[in-house]
Parts: sequence; C-alpha cells; structure tokens
Amino acid sequence: MTDYKISAKDVQVYYGDNHAIKDVNVDIEDKTVTAFIGPSGCGKSTFLRCLNRMNDTIDICRVQGDILLDGEDIYDPAVDPVQLRAKVGMVFQKPNPFPKSIYDNVAYGPKIHGLARTKAELDEIVEKSLRKAALWTEAKDRLHSPGTGLSGGQQQRLCIARAIATSPEVLLMDEPCSALDPIATAQVEELIDELRQSYSVVIVTHSMQQAARVSQKTAFFHLGNLVEFGETDKIFTNPEDPRTESYISGRIG
Amino acid sequence: MGRLNQFLGLLLGGTTAMSLLLTVILVLALSAIGYVMGTHRALRSASGDQRLLHSLKGYYGQNVALSVFVPSAILLVIWLVAQPLFINQSVSGLIADQVGAEGVSSALIVQDMRRVADGLDVVVAQGVLSDDAIAALDAESTNIRDVLAGVGVAVGSDVTQLTLDGARHYRALATTGNVLRGFVVLAVALAGFAVALRRTNKDYRARNVVERGVLVLLFSAATVAVLTTVGIVFSLIFNTIDFFQTYPAADFFFGTRWEPSFSGRGGASDLGFLPLIWGTMFISIISLIVAVPLGLFSAIYLSEYASDRVRAFAKPMLEILAGIPTIVYGLFALLTVGPLLVNAFGNGGLFGVNWMSGGTAAITAGSVMGIMLIPFVSSLSDDIINAVPQAMRDGSYGLGATQSETIRQVILPAALPGIVGAILLAASRAIGETMIVVLGAGAAASLSLNPFEAMTTVTAKIVSQLTGDGEFNSPETMVAFALGMTLFVITLCLNVFALYIVRKYREQYD
Repeated sequence: MTDYKISAKDVQVYYGDNHAIKDVNVDIEDKTVTAFIGPSGCGKSTFLRCLNRMNDTIDICRVQGDILLDGEDIYDPAVDPVQLRAKVGMVFQKPNPFPKSIYDNVAYGPKIHGLARTKAELDEIVEKSLRKAALWTEAKDRLHSPGTGLSGGQQQRLCIARAIATSPEVLLMDEPCSALDPIATAQVEELIDELRQSYSVVIVTHSMQQAARVSQKTAFFHLGNLVEFGETDKIFTNPEDPRTESYISGRIG
Repeated sequence: MGRLNQFLGLLLGGTTAMSLLLTVILVLALSAIGYVMGTHRALRSASGDQRLLHSLKGYYGQNVALSVFVPSAILLVIWLVAQPLFINQSVSGLIADQVGAEGVSSALIVQDMRRVADGLDVVVAQGVLSDDAIAALDAESTNIRDVLAGVGVAVGSDVTQLTLDGARHYRALATTGNVLRGFVVLAVALAGFAVALRRTNKDYRARNVVERGVLVLLFSAATVAVLTTVGIVFSLIFNTIDFFQTYPAADFFFGTRWEPSFSGRGGASDLGFLPLIWGTMFISIISLIVAVPLGLFSAIYLSEYASDRVRAFAKPMLEILAGIPTIVYGLFALLTVGPLLVNAFGNGGLFGVNWMSGGTAAITAGSVMGIMLIPFVSSLSDDIINAVPQAMRDGSYGLGATQSETIRQVILPAALPGIVGAILLAASRAIGETMIVVLGAGAAASLSLNPFEAMTTVTAKIVSQLTGDGEFNSPETMVAFALGMTLFVITLCLNVFALYIVRKYREQYD
C-alpha cells in the first residue's frame, strides 16, 4: 500500500449541509497520470482540491476521512498546509499568471520556499522549469516582460512552469485546457505526458478524449460518488458500471 | 366680468411670493388635468381598446403634462431672472436722469429703493396704509422711516423724496411685471395643453416623445453640473486677473514672505505664495504619513483577514469617521489633540523635551487630518484589493505561499496602481482641507521644517483674507482669488492624475 503516492479512504466532503463527496476511495500511483472525469457538479474538482487542502480557504467546507500522502495523513493537525502545497502543486482552470514578469512568475515559488541559494541557481531553476513546460524557446528573450502579455496557451504553460518550479511530487490540474484552443491543448497534453516521467499527475477534465489520451488511470465521479476507478483502457472499452458506460458513450452527462 | 377681473387681479397681482406660488400651482394643476385628459383622449381615439394604441395610455397623459409644464417652467425661470435686471435698469435710468450719479453709488441708491419698496409691500399687506395712500405719500411731510419701522422693516437712513419716488416706480414696475408674468406663463401652459391634446390620437408616438423628454431632462441636469464648474473657474479667473493687475505675478509666485498689511495702514504688503503652499504641503504630508499606513493596513485586514461578521461591523464604523463634519475634527484638534501633544512634547511634558510651545502646530492639524483621511484611504484601497481576482490568491496559495506572502508579493503589487491613485485622491483632499487647519495649525505663515511650530496653509489664508476688514478691491483681499485659483489648479492636476492611474488599473482585469 505504500506503493501509492496518494491514497484516499472514505473521504467525505460537506459544503455546509450539502454532502458533496461521499465515501470516495482512490489510490494514486507515482509517475502516472490519473484522470478524474464526470459531469459538472459531480465533485471531481472538489475532491482534487482536497488533495492539497485548497478547500481550507473555504470557510463552510469540511473534509472527513483519511488522505495519505506517502503514508502520512495530510489532514493531521501537525501538517502545515503551506508545506503540503509546496509538495502538491496545482494548476488552475483559467490561466492565472501573477501581474509580474515571466521570470518573477516562475521564480515566485522557489523564492518563498528558499530553494535557491544564489541568483545563478534561481536562474537555473527558472530556465529548467520553463524548458520542462515547453515555454523556454518562446519566452527566453522576453523573460522580463509581463506574464499577462502572453497568449492563453502560453500563459497556461507559464502556470505549469510556475507549479513545477517548486519541484512538487504531485501536480494537480483542474481542467487545465478548458480555456485553451485545440493547438494549445495539444501542447499542454504533450507536456503532461512528459511530466509523467518525474511527477504523479492528477488531472480533472471534461473531455473524455483528453482523459483517454493522457491518462493511465481514470476515475469516474457521479453525483459525489466515485462510480468506477481503474485502468483508463478498461474504463473506456469495458466499463463495469452501467453509469460509466452511459456517460462515456454520451447517453448521460 | 368685473368680479372675474378682481379675482384674477388678486390671483396674479398680489405680493410677489403669493402670485408666484399661485402661478406654479395653476401650471401644475393644468398639467395634472392634461395628464388625465390626454389619457382619456388617446383611449377614446382607439374606441377604448388599449391594444390599438401606439404607446401605453400613460405615455399620452405624460406627453400632455410635459407639454404644459416644461415650456411654462422654462419661461417662468427666465422671467424670474430677467425681471429684476430689467427693473434695476429702469430705476437706475431714473436716478441718472435726476442726480447724474453712476457706478457704485447708483447701485447703492437702487438697493435702498428696493428695500423701501419691499417695506411698502409689507405696509400694504399689514393694512397700515392702502395703495392709494402710498401713492399720495410725501417724504417731506411723512417720516417714511418711522412708518416702515412701525411694521418691522428697518431702513439704514432717512428716506428722501428721490428714494420714495424710485421705490414707487419700482413697485409699479414689479406689480405690472408680476401680473404680466402670471398671464404669459399661463398662456404658454394653455398653448402647450391645447397643442399636445390636439395631437393626441391612437397613432401618435407618445412613447418616443416622452422618451426624448426624459433624455433632455437628464442631459440638462448634467449640463447644469458642468456649467457650474465652468462658472466657478471663470469667476476665479477674472478675479485672479484683476489681482495680478495690482500685484506682480512673479512676487506672488516666488515671494517667500507673507505679510499682508491691512486696512490702509500704509506700507506695501508682501503676498508671497511659497510659505503658504509650503504649509499646505507640509501638513498634507504629515496627514498622509498618518493616514496611509493606518488606512492601508485596515483595508488589508478588512479585505483579506476579517470574517464577514467583523467586516459587517467594522466597515460602517470606519465610514462613520468619513461622515464627521471637518469642523468637528477641527475642534478635536484644538481641544484634545493639541493639548495632548503639548503635554507630551511641551515644556515639562512626558518626554522632558521643550519642543512645543502651543497646541496649534503643523503636527496637530496634520495628525487630525490624517485621522480624517483614514476611511478615505481604507475604503478605496479595500475596493481595489477586492478587485484583485480570487484566481491570483488561489495561484499563490497553490504554490505553498502563506497568506501574508500572498498579500505582500501578489495582491499588493497587483493593486499598487490603484492604491497609489487612492493616496493621490486623499492627498488632494488634504490640500483642500480648511477647517482643521484654521483651528489646529495656527496662523503664522512660515517656511519651517519644524512640525511643532505653528504653520498655515493656502486655504486657511483664503478664509482670513476674505473675512478680514480690508476693502474688497484691495490686493490684500483679491489675493484670495489668486490663492484659490492656484490651489484649484494643483488639486485638479492631482485628481486627474489619480483618476488616470485608477482607471488604467481597472482596465487590467475587466
């Protein structure tokens, strides 16, 4: 069981009186891409945000059950959510670069976590992250112009570079391509596939084709329940649950 | 017929105020009747079927009511402005014929005549004398001043025959004018009534006409505001030009001494602008040193840390500070803060230093003004910080930043242009502030760097120059306009610059 990077047991999430996530058990492996699919409002984004405790910023949200990262409960009072988020990075639905230069956007995480001892080391981290995010060739001549001046797809890759600059162990992506055109989407998907070499990636997506293209494991959520979780190939070709089958064949959702 | 005339005479002649009130009431009544009749006529033209009308039936009524009210109201306003001008002209002509006096003394005599004429109105209204008796009055045989005093009207000097004649002429003209005004305004109202009612039928596009009427109404409201600003600027400009004709501009702008000599005691005045603008700037800077950190920190607390319940309580409390009249702040400076500061920094005070000799000083006015500006800085900054998208915060938290790191490194830089704009707006308020300075800063104009010394500002000096007993056309008084104009230009530039920055920032996230 320690093979798993993240393992969630009997997770319940409540928004006030609303029971948003019911009895979810998921094991996420290292160096794989896990996709969460399901119709809108099924709780997949909520569950994703539990994995790095982003839900802490919402007052009425309560989380029960165990979520273990490398065997340690991330909801243990001794765990500092700030440290946790440095290990479990996140990329959001809408590209949200800070109103700073491209360089400062990427250097933001390493700076606040003290990852670089010298300016040269910081430069190196920035370059490495931008290279990994496939943005280096486009951005290397304009590192000091504002990140908000990039195109939508470039901005999203900048946000990915920013997230990997803190060298996280897990990367959470909340519909990272929903604001992008098909070409930018293809670039980001290619990137996700490369990131799999070094990280465990969890991606929430509305596009079943995308889940099939980029992930090895897929979890199907419906109305707050985890309906089915398994190998992506099996989910898409031979689902066990009739609800999964109707969703992926386009009959519901 | 005779009785009707009498009634109309009473209605329209009467005293000025009464006939005016009656005219307005009649016009309003006519437009109310117009509304009802317009609605009915429109419905009748559609044989009672509302669906056949071009517009909703209410629009036909509104159309008639507006046609009655708007032209007659405009005419009434113009008449009210023009009639006194015309009468003054006519009465002045009378004086010029008889005395040959002109200019200021003529204006004074006309003013006297007007006061006597108003007094005679009261005499008639109280039934002491009839109109015929007044026509027979003679300044030689009757003491008009006593007669007027008997009904409670005080006149400055004895009434001469000339003044009495003028007053009678004035009354005659005013009465005729008032009667004429009533008739003409009512005639215009009736004409509007007739025209609008005749036009009313089911195909008439009443809705579009009313819509345009509303547009004109809103437009003219905006125009009044803009024209007033222009008027203020022009009144300042002309008086400023007058001032610079008697006092050299270079001495004003670059003079380092402010020593006006008052009421013709002789000797030239030094009217240097620099000590005053220095006082203004110095006190404003002190106030910003107080207001910016306090306001900004409270804005950060309110927008980022405070729970909804604290916010719901603290924000209105801060806004109460903004609602306190500045004269009350002035009293606070004079009675509380000043003595407190003297206790701390004065002779034998808490700190054992003898820096401050009196309660009125730059630091007293500056710190109280700073308190006044806190809600201003805080509520503007609060809005600007709230306008930073939640996505920025999520992005920063998602990278493992703490709340204060997020605020310092992401939110404040993103909000900075807006915050700078807010501070500049606060600065322009500090520069224009008067009452706190009058009460808290003292009156000595000095080019000093010591905040514990009495100092004065441009605005405080405008007050003292205009309320002093100098002659109105002396440079010592006229300098107030030059001061006001300069201050206006400075705050205008600051405001334009601040709004430019704020607007530029707003566009970023829309």
